[in-house]
Amino acid sequence: MLAQVDTFVGPEVNWFALSPLIALVAGALLMMLAGALTPRWPNGLYALACATTAGTAGALAMVQWDDITDNGPTTLVAGAVAFDTFSMFVTILICVSIILVAMLADDYLRGTPNDGPEIYALLLTAGAGGVVMASANDLIVLFLGLETLSLALYVLAASNRRSNRSGESGIKYFVLGGFASAFFLYGIALVYGATGTTNISEMVVALQNTVDLETPDGLALAGVALLLVGLGFKVAAVPFHIWTPDVYQGAPSPVTAFMASVAKAAAFAAMLRVLVIALPFYRDDWRPVIWVLALLSLLVGSVVAVVQTDVKRMLAYSSISHAGFLLVGVEAAGHTAGELDPGSGMSAVMLYLMLYSVMVIGSFAVVLVVQRHAGGDSSIEAFRGLSMRRPAIATAFTVFLLAQAGVPFTSGFIAKFGVIQAAVDVDSYAIAVIAMVSAVIAAFVYLRIMLTVWTGTPAENSEPIRVPLAVGVTIAGAAVFTLFAGIIPGWLIDATDTVTQYAR
Amino acid sequence: MSQYLPLVVLLALAVVFGILSFFASRLLAPRRPSSAKEAPYECGIVPSREPPERFPVSFYVVAMLFIMFDIEIIFLYPYAVNHSTLGFYGFWAILFFSVIFFATFVYEVARGGLDWGPMQRYRQLATDAAMVTPERTLASTVRRVGTEGREPESSSPSAA
Repeated sequence: MLAQVDTFVGPEVNWFALSPLIALVAGALLMMLAGALTPRWPNGLYALACATTAGTAGALAMVQWDDITDNGPTTLVAGAVAFDTFSMFVTILICVSIILVAMLADDYLRGTPNDGPEIYALLLTAGAGGVVMASANDLIVLFLGLETLSLALYVLAASNRRSNRSGESGIKYFVLGGFASAFFLYGIALVYGATGTTNISEMVVALQNTVDLETPDGLALAGVALLLVGLGFKVAAVPFHIWTPDVYQGAPSPVTAFMASVAKAAAFAAMLRVLVIALPFYRDDWRPVIWVLALLSLLVGSVVAVVQTDVKRMLAYSSISHAGFLLVGVEAAGHTAGELDPGSGMSAVMLYLMLYSVMVIGSFAVVLVVQRHAGGDSSIEAFRGLSMRRPAIATAFTVFLLAQAGVPFTSGFIAKFGVIQAAVDVDSYAIAVIAMVSAVIAAFVYLRIMLTVWTGTPAENSEPIRVPLAVGVTIAGAAVFTLFAGIIPGWLIDATDTVTQYAR
Repeated sequence: MSQYLPLVVLLALAVVFGILSFFASRLLAPRRPSSAKEAPYECGIVPSREPPERFPVSFYVVAMLFIMFDIEIIFLYPYAVNHSTLGFYGFWAILFFSVIFFATFVYEVARGGLDWGPMQRYRQLATDAAMVTPERTLASTVRRVGTEGREPESSSPSAA
């Protein structure tokens, strides 16, 4: 009993190392508190506060990055949190995404009942959850992060109270997400039963030290399978993807952009943590599952996207096929998981996540502009003749779509090249070929949208499309980054190469 | 793994029992439906109209307050029992937790969580000004009770 212990010594906490996370949470709490106690702030100030908080957290993460590259990775708070470049990379990615989404949300929320600090505080909270997921060194901590991210996202998805679709998407995401969380938690429980710990560092040691070929390890394998179900749901891999199109379509466009970038990045970071870092012992067991998930996601994502008539649904299915590409990288990382030479799979996935986040936020920003003009209609007809009315927006949209298709000189090519090369490096030729074939199928979808944008003639009642300044800046910034990272990707590749030096 | 065998047997038994009783009641039970049996409730007031689709959610906000205090007491109680062994580390941890908790409480109260009754709206100056305009007459502000909807009598036409 605790009462019989004379003195309880708490774990030593290196507060500064946790500063990015603390900045996000403190920013969210302060915004809620100050926003509730003061009258309405001037236009744009809520978004500015949100972006400033995320920027501060991102800058702090960069400071930590230097510290880690100088002194090596370590664990914090008695081994509960990993302090490595892997977690810092995801932190920076999430912070950049929050800034971009806050800029989109500002104009979207004006004049609605949500024009307050709450949405922005939820964005920051969800971001904090994502950071916890990426930097967890304990499965319970990872689950806490998962729930923080998910609960905030359920509310965000349902946040447009004037739209029934938004409420529907929130409920759908909530029910299915709760189900997936339960799977994940059961997986943690079974893995705990098999290894006697939830801590990732101790788990690796326990699995290596108790190699016993006599007793079957069905308990641990069942746990790994359940963990895969939970993670597969969060990354929207194919047998667990049913929620994606409806939720992406129904949720407000800034929230959809947030889900496609932050939630996906955090879920893939968690997947790498659990599979590659914590369970390399079972890599030959989970790798075929990832292989099948990747195959199905690639094919279903790209083929079903072709028959959609709504651009948001098309982008939702394309995000499923992107998840397939990312899973190709995870599969490649699985070949060398736990070895001294970690291979290029993890770096390729991280690079893909960073590049994809920016281009998908850019894409949904364009959808947001067009959708608002068309009175909430995001069908492909609403995009007809966009080039005649807003040539700059149409050009930026083309850049994003080409990047998603993986055309050279855009960041999408670098991303796809990275994961396919990682797969080829470990002789995983079959999935690499399938990925390339599915990229060709998916290109048809993007070409179809581009054709509508560039060749159609706009409808008769064509008022000028209003592009708010912040949204325009977001689209321009994302387009410039997409081209810049496509032409000069070296610095980003160097940064992602260090993420394999993870703490454990 | 063998120690889990009874659990698996129990699980199988539960499923088999469920399936068996489902089909057994279909096969064995006599089927004589009557209007009283088909009604949603066997006794009580007969439902005559659909329930309203929208209803006030004030109680939901109070329930949120309750859950907040509930969560705090869940953490405070074990701390209070063990506060001497947990020492200053536990003290600062629980204080920090309480501060964050208090912030959520302040947020909810500031957003009107404890305001009861009809919704309070900020008074508009325009409506105040309308109260003192010379256009307001006795006929436009005072309504005679009981004259609305009556059959107009032939001798004295009802007042407007």
